[in-house]
Amino acid sequence: MNYLWDNLFKRSKKDDDVRSILRENILFQDLNDRDLRFVESLVHVRRFHAGEPVFRQGEVGVGMYLIAKGRIEIFVSDPNAPGEENRDIFITQLGSSDFFGELALVEENGRRTASAVARDESTLIGFFKPDLTEVLERNPEAGIKICLRLAEVLGRRLKETTEKVSELRRAIKELREPPPVNP
Amino acid sequence: MDAKLRASLRRENQIKMLSVLAILVGCGVILFAVNNLLVSFILAFVTNYLLSPIVDFLERKRVPRQTAILIPFIATACLITFGVYKVVPLLNQQMELLASQLPKYQADLMNLVSGTEQRFKVFFKLYNVNFSQAINDWIVAKTQILSSALPSIVSGSLTVLILTPFFAYFMLQDGRRLTRTLMSLVPNSIFEIALDLQHQLNDQMGGFIRARFLEAAIVGVVVWLGLQIAGFPYASLLGLFAGLTNLIPYLGPLIGAVPAILIALISEDGMIASTMSLNLIIITSIYFFAQLVDIVFIIPFVVAKIVNLHPVTVVIVIIIGSQVMGILGMIISIPIASAIKLVFQTFYRHLTEYE
Repeated sequence: MNYLWDNLFKRSKKDDDVRSILRENILFQDLNDRDLRFVESLVHVRRFHAGEPVFRQGEVGVGMYLIAKGRIEIFVSDPNAPGEENRDIFITQLGSSDFFGELALVEENGRRTASAVARDESTLIGFFKPDLTEVLERNPEAGIKICLRLAEVLGRRLKETTEKVSELRRAIKELREPPPVNP
Repeated sequence: MDAKLRASLRRENQIKMLSVLAILVGCGVILFAVNNLLVSFILAFVTNYLLSPIVDFLERKRVPRQTAILIPFIATACLITFGVYKVVPLLNQQMELLASQLPKYQADLMNLVSGTEQRFKVFFKLYNVNFSQAINDWIVAKTQILSSALPSIVSGSLTVLILTPFFAYFMLQDGRRLTRTLMSLVPNSIFEIALDLQHQLNDQMGGFIRARFLEAAIVGVVVWLGLQIAGFPYASLLGLFAGLTNLIPYLGPLIGAVPAILIALISEDGMIASTMSLNLIIITSIYFFAQLVDIVFIIPFVVAKIVNLHPVTVVIVIIIGSQVMGILGMIISIPIASAIKLVFQTFYRHLTEYE
């Protein structure tokens, strides 16, 4: 009979884990315990094997993932790159409590701009557009708090991207126009 | 991804998919095999979609979900009790009046049929078919079938009446959790598509059911008001009938108008010449006006936005529905067809339109 008890304890531990992971995430950090319990009842815990794709570049994205356990690698495919092995360009590796794919929460039929692959046995918490809609319909106060944080995250990403683009433009300009040679 | 991992993932996904399909097929078989279960389930499904906006509204007001579900159920029970005390005597009175007049209507109808038959015989002397006898035989045969099937119909209706609210309550209470449990079995590779699809289907079905009931209610009220103003007998009964039959697409409005037109026709001493009488024109205008309200205001603004099917497709689908499941098939054929279309569209979009 012991295994039954073990399983029960494991379950409650897992539930606590999900809630604590949600609490630590920027999107859900403004929620009180009751709202967190509500969001916890909506999210989807998904398990991935090492090497298994979470999503592929070009697929329609429906939502974001929070990493509860394991590591996720992000790749971008370059169809123009020579040789099949060079097509996937490694972008970054994400670990526990990181999150990715949040742009899909606000996009209508938006495509994934990169691929995500599990580096090791990973547990992800999926929070998708239908879940966000449900939060907004059933608990608008919590929904607005999440949306405000989501806007903040997307704004920050946009700012970073703009800075990167400016840096690259400067670099390209410098490459095109070599500094004047002193006579 | 190496070949070994790919093979093991494929095997795992196949097992998961088979489990989901087995659960769905098992539920489907049970629904079809057990008497009255399918009808109760469909009615509970409809009740669930009709009540869920009220439950969600109450939940938004911070009412706990369990209480939020109980409130519309209690309110509906109160409404039914009120209906039994107030509306049923009125309907009963009209039913009694109709029953007392029925032999007269039957005789008038037979007169009308035989009169029409005589007129047609003048034109088609070659054919020697006794229409009035054939219709009389048909009515007698149908009445006999109905009377022999009546006990099972009554017991079946009682079972449905008990099972429907029971199922509807648990659909509202645990429906989402149940869907999530089923979704947890879906393989990772198609999880996002499945979730998206399930959400869209849920939205579409809810919108469709609510729109159809709004439509039926408005048509019923317009017919009832019109007949009441025109001073036509059985206004409430005919309004209720028009509203209910309006749930059947395309053919429903016609079926709904038949009793009133028949009553108007046979009230005029069974004379075919009376078809142009003022009474008939008023009745036809009332039903026409109700349909006009439906076509001009409700269908373009409510229904068409939800179900995106071509009129020819709709007619074909209704015919298939009627052949497979009769009147129930005619009612549920359109949401099922639009759901199939949505499934194909979503899979096509997810799987083929890569940028």
